[in-house]
Amino acid sequence: MQRENLAVPVKLWALGCTIIGISLTDDTILTCVLVMAGFLYLAVQRNWRLLQSFGVFYGILAVLLYLIRNHGLHMVLFSEFYVLMFWNLFAVFLVGWDLITTPPGELSAFMSRIHMPTSAILGLLVMFRFFPTMKAELKNVWCSMRNRGLTAPAQFFLHPAESCEYVLVPLLLRCLQIADQLSVSAVARGAEAPGRRSSYYEKSMTLKDWCCFILWSAVTVLFLWKGGMRI
Amino acid sequence: MSQTNKWTVKDVITTVLLTVLLIFIQLVVNMVCMVNDFVSMVLSVGFTMLLCAPVYFLMVSRVRKRFVSLIYMTILGLVFLIMGNWYLLPYYMAVGAVCEVILWKNGWESKKKITAAWTVSSLLYNGVNLLPLWFFWDTYEAFAISSGMEQSYIDSFVRYYSSAGWLAFIVVFTTACGFLGSIIGGRLMNKHFKKAGVL
Repeated sequence: MQRENLAVPVKLWALGCTIIGISLTDDTILTCVLVMAGFLYLAVQRNWRLLQSFGVFYGILAVLLYLIRNHGLHMVLFSEFYVLMFWNLFAVFLVGWDLITTPPGELSAFMSRIHMPTSAILGLLVMFRFFPTMKAELKNVWCSMRNRGLTAPAQFFLHPAESCEYVLVPLLLRCLQIADQLSVSAVARGAEAPGRRSSYYEKSMTLKDWCCFILWSAVTVLFLWKGGMRI
Repeated sequence: MSQTNKWTVKDVITTVLLTVLLIFIQLVVNMVCMVNDFVSMVLSVGFTMLLCAPVYFLMVSRVRKRFVSLIYMTILGLVFLIMGNWYLLPYYMAVGAVCEVILWKNGWESKKKITAAWTVSSLLYNGVNLLPLWFFWDTYEAFAISSGMEQSYIDSFVRYYSSAGWLAFIVVFTTACGFLGSIIGGRLMNKHFKKAGVL
């Protein structure tokens, strides 16, 4: 079944609610309430893929947190502090990831509608596309290094500075190339042209959007009321 | 050739792309350093500033406009805001403003000024660990205890960040790493980026 994205204002509101929730809460463990609301929110959008991957990750976190708190688990490679931090921030990651994987056209249509400056729109879109782009670029750099025999552990330990240079320099050069390509593409599509921009992707709020909007407001208020606030 | 201070689409995209890369490197270094208390609390900020210096150098040298540092620090502050540390947003904006003052008069043309800006940011970056201890200790301690952290971790944190000797070492080490990173960054600019024609 195809994903049915909610309107961008609802997604931003959901992100705002989760940030306010985790910033003000007194009860870190209770943030699972926001996460459950987040899972429901993904289900409403039929975003099954994200729901599945985040659900598995949250399950692992829950098991780790249980073992740390009740059985004194101490991990060598991953701090307990990070387990609770991820647990605490999970609702923000969930809603944030859903927002950044929204089609760029829908995001830019909404931002144009609220008269956001073009530079800010471009900046946000670039930020949202950073992770998929960098994943591909890092993979290419790694393949090139492996072809030249530079990925052996001995090479990293004996020449750490050179290894860093081999990764950093091509990655930075590629970043600059990507920035150039994106700016040429944006300018060619009229990013610097004056006047109001319209979009094929503009859409108004539906009943489902309003329901989610109210749901997030209610869940956040209830969460802070029951869980207590820091201030 | 006259240089205007008006931002173009290319400047915005380059600044945002390299800023996100800087923040990504910082988060990865922090996570890797969490393996050991000493490395995490004493050395990690220094390592971060060392690794990020070439990226910062490239960003400032490439964009050649005012407010690059302010935008970078503001986005960094926003990331901390999303993570629940709202007080780091105004702090990093202030750090960005300090960098802007250093770079105000065409600072991007001078390696010394970029080095000074990054070294000062490295010194002030320690606020990420010190501000919670000085102003929000109760919240931080409650979070650490509820996460199941051992008391030894919390004791180490207090020892490193409240003892004058350790504090001095951390500040000096971080600043020195930022300075060393800037020197390396400056050399990399000449060795690779100017030759490649991107600066």
